[in-house]
Amino acid sequence: MRNHTIMISALALALAVPATSMADTQGQGRGNGQGPAEQAGGDHGSAHGDHGNGRGDGNGSSERGQPAAREADRGDGNGHNGRGGQGRAERDQGRDHTPGNRVEVTRPGNSGQNGVGNQGRDGQGPRRAAEDDAVILHDRVATRGLVEGCPPGLAWRDNGCLPPGQARRLESDAGYDWLWNRSRDDVRYTYVDGYLYQTRSDGGLSGWLPLLGGALGLNHIWPQQYGYQPVPTYYSRYSGLGDRYDYRYANGVVYGVDPQTQAIQQVAALLTGQSWNVGQAMPRGYDAYNVPSAYREQYKDTPDRWYRYNDGYVYQVDPTTRLVQAVIQLLS
Amino acid sequence: MRRLAPWILAPIAAVSLAACNNAAGDAAAPAEVTMNAAIAADDQFDTLEAVVENAGLEAVLNGVGPYTVIAPVNDAFNQSGAPDFTADDMAAQGAELVRAHLLPGTVTREDLLAAIDRGGADGATLLTMADEVLTFTRDGDAIVVTAENGATARLTGREVVASNGVIQPADGLLIGAAPAG
Repeated sequence: MRNHTIMISALALALAVPATSMADTQGQGRGNGQGPAEQAGGDHGSAHGDHGNGRGDGNGSSERGQPAAREADRGDGNGHNGRGGQGRAERDQGRDHTPGNRVEVTRPGNSGQNGVGNQGRDGQGPRRAAEDDAVILHDRVATRGLVEGCPPGLAWRDNGCLPPGQARRLESDAGYDWLWNRSRDDVRYTYVDGYLYQTRSDGGLSGWLPLLGGALGLNHIWPQQYGYQPVPTYYSRYSGLGDRYDYRYANGVVYGVDPQTQAIQQVAALLTGQSWNVGQAMPRGYDAYNVPSAYREQYKDTPDRWYRYNDGYVYQVDPTTRLVQAVIQLLS
Repeated sequence: MRRLAPWILAPIAAVSLAACNNAAGDAAAPAEVTMNAAIAADDQFDTLEAVVENAGLEAVLNGVGPYTVIAPVNDAFNQSGAPDFTADDMAAQGAELVRAHLLPGTVTREDLLAAIDRGGADGATLLTMADEVLTFTRDGDAIVVTAENGATARLTGREVVASNGVIQPADGLLIGAAPAG
């Protein structure tokens, strides 16, 4: 039987009184975070805030095998050097008395990935909840997680970072680029040799990204210039990743990498990278009930509660306001 | 294509029928095979199976998930004029195609119908793992899926509720059309 842990923030408790009935215990947590940046990217020396880190304190306990609710203070945080900062509040989680198992839920704000500010498509704030050990999953940004600036080996020029030869190649060596182009984007994408390049209307290159199946395909060596994050402990446990590989998260994908050779040996999971935060609106695109089969009996939609699954969590949503009321971990 | 023994296929069919009778939110008992195995076992998904393998995504569809795949049948690849996503140099394109057809969570046909009915004329919107929003509407008894790029497909046949998600057969590819010329 799987154990379920429910984290309900102080805000959630205020907004969603019915949710408290699901709780057996209460705890306290507080936290704040700051996001240092890592340097990455091209020769022009642009800084890319890779991810934020944070610290927080929390305490609480729960009855074994019972869902546990936790109150938490709201925390503040900032990302540095990346274009965006990210504020979040930590959540103290009680699960089988396991110490140090905390969950953080982001507040409205802006987070940085590889230096690119992030905002949900619908302006609903950052797109990923952070998790224990002060690890934050990369947000998948409106620009698809592209790294700003010049790709490795290309110097910044007046018209961008594409040398003429490379520019001509992007024009002539298009590999079904229309697969990546989006009507909502005012940019163009070009696929060459495993990488996706984003170019502006004036032809200058504005971002690049190694692609799943391309430079990030099986048996490819992880590109040194491309940042990643370790997979948070919760998701690792949820998905049973184990320790066979060095698991890395980047742009919505969990990769299993051989720690010795740095070769990608497995594409373990795909994630939306979205952040669902208590008190914020449910992201667009979850109109249908989608709770995993094993949890449908426990988390059924009712007239006053919806449940939606995303990236290893089930979220309780108010059907009327569409506000997220609670975050529910599914741990095996 | 890898074949599964008939004893493996039997519970898939049985569970699919059971799932069709479930109201939205009711438990849909999963089969004991993964989505990857169920796709491999069904001839109508031969091309999709090859695309998944070529893109290196088998472990994703064998993993915990769950996901719902809007699964193009073979004819969808043949009729669309799409490139050969099974070619060695098309792995990245194939991965993008799979992401554009993959939804987070377990979404049964009944779940879709319930959501469409709630949404009225606007239908129901569901996010894909390619960060695209699909819109599901009714056309008579059929469910029509429309991608942001305008591509459409109809859900066909019976869904397969696997151990780690749901397979919803579809008659088209939800990718943008190749530019003219």
